[in-house]
Amino acid sequence: MISMNGEFIAFFLLSVMAIAGAVFMINFTRVVHMILALAFTFLGIAGIFVTLNAEFLAVVQVLIYTGAVSILMLFGIMLTRHRDETRDGGRPWHAFLCFLGVGGFFALLMRIIYGSPFNGETAKTETFSVSGLGESVFKQYVIPFEVTSILLLVALVGAIILAKKERS
Amino acid sequence: MDYAESYVIVTVFILLGVALPVAALTMGRLLRPHQPTTDKGISYESGVDPTGDSWIQFNVRYYLFALLFVIFDVETVFLYPWAVAYNDLRTDVGLFILVEMLIFVFFLVIGLLYAWKKKVLEWT
Repeated sequence: MISMNGEFIAFFLLSVMAIAGAVFMINFTRVVHMILALAFTFLGIAGIFVTLNAEFLAVVQVLIYTGAVSILMLFGIMLTRHRDETRDGGRPWHAFLCFLGVGGFFALLMRIIYGSPFNGETAKTETFSVSGLGESVFKQYVIPFEVTSILLLVALVGAIILAKKERS
Repeated sequence: MDYAESYVIVTVFILLGVALPVAALTMGRLLRPHQPTTDKGISYESGVDPTGDSWIQFNVRYYLFALLFVIFDVETVFLYPWAVAYNDLRTDVGLFILVEMLIFVFFLVIGLLYAWKKKVLEWT
């Protein structure tokens, strides 16, 4: 039996927020509204991270996804021809087939989830600290950390080359 | 007070933050006169009648600025745990911790210099 404590209510509301943002994003016809709905979803997921005691991850989620990635998508969309608001309403059987496919996938997934045994205890979430994260990143995973910076450099240089080629 | 319970205060703040503009705008809607004309709907452009559409295709420069923002945002995220764990790690691995972050920043500075060289940072 699920107890109605504050964590459950928070999780419920945040999940509704995340799912509603995703559904609205698919259903909106204007791309800018879609990005706003997506940012809403990102915020809901950040809230779920907070309920899991992963506050650092929540802050990172807000900083990078809600802030930076949304802006990036927005400007990416602004580059395109975005006045198109045509709706595809011609094929009713198309929606039905989609529903069948998604419903079948959902049933399969649920069957697998309920059929698989979960052995052992779940990981404790209370012991997380930013200092511990820093120690593991900068002591244990030094090479992946440095490779990350090279990855970012490659992304930046690649984007500049592509943008410059397009203009000339 | 329990640590998780302190988030009740955060929730109250969020609710207040949402409620305040909603209440202010609702009060404004109730109090103000409502007589819309097409002239009032025109967007204000320094007293000049606007021409064309507001939905224009942006310059690619905006996108590059956004990308620079994302990349240095990611760098900032790595700086947080580094700064928090700095003192512990300095007694542990010495100045290597500083060198690590300098290498990381160095690669990103190369990217910034490349962007500068390619005139991404200029508005011509």
